[in-house]
Amino acid sequence: MNAFWQSLKGRMSKQPGGIDCKGVLAKLYEYIDGELDEETIEKVRVHIEKCKLCYPRYNFEAAFVRFLGEQGRASVPDELRRRVFESILEEESSN
Amino acid sequence: MAESASGKREEFEREALVHLDTLYNVALRLCGNASDAEDLVQDTVTKAYRSWDKYEQGTNCRAWLVTIMRNTFINQFRKESKRPSSVEFDAVQDISVFEEVQERDPEGSFFHLIVDNEVKRAIQELPEEFRLPVVLSDVEGLSYAEIAEILGLPVGTVKSRLFRGRRRLQQRLYEYALEMGYIR
Repeated sequence: MNAFWQSLKGRMSKQPGGIDCKGVLAKLYEYIDGELDEETIEKVRVHIEKCKLCYPRYNFEAAFVRFLGEQGRASVPDELRRRVFESILEEESSN
Repeated sequence: MAESASGKREEFEREALVHLDTLYNVALRLCGNASDAEDLVQDTVTKAYRSWDKYEQGTNCRAWLVTIMRNTFINQFRKESKRPSSVEFDAVQDISVFEEVQERDPEGSFFHLIVDNEVKRAIQELPEEFRLPVVLSDVEGLSYAEIAEILGLPVGTVKSRLFRGRRRLQQRLYEYALEMGYIR
């Protein structure tokens, strides 16, 4: 059984996309953030698609980053907005 | 460049004040409370308006504004609480929470059970070195290059702080979810 897992592991780290799991892991956030060049994006994309170890990791991290992005951005309170515009008007007339 | 005073004001409103929401959100995360955040926004906008002549048209106005805000915050709001940076010496937990939850919740759906305020608090509790990159990237959607410009740091440093900030936040939220029984 152990040998089976070893060989499975071996097969999976065989660099689909021309990049190994370690390399993908190191670039995962940059991939999610759209900060990689096109060639690397493609390598990572292919790897993630084919690698049973990396795919769920990617999925989890992407969900987490998405979750943070969905965190309610506050809108400027009307009162503050009014104050800001007024202060600019004041600045303008004082010059 | 605007000729008249009202032209300048209109230009400023059009180019700069459209970013008021971003400024407010960054201020909230910097100050940790609404009242200081409002003052910081007001001060930032006034400063920006006064130095509007120095803004180069066509460059990134949002980044320019957040830079002014950051400097204002450092100069005015933080004088009394100058704590030394702990980043370099801290043994940061760099392991992803995924390792711990992959059997139980590989999709990370427990994150969604955590209430907004708790997430905000967890972000707030991040050391500033991590908090700013996380907020600018994940809440405001800025690129690494923009964040690097604002913080005056090399892109590589922004990257590593952002990643470590996310990991810390992840860990904190995971611990909270465990405490609350959202995940077993």
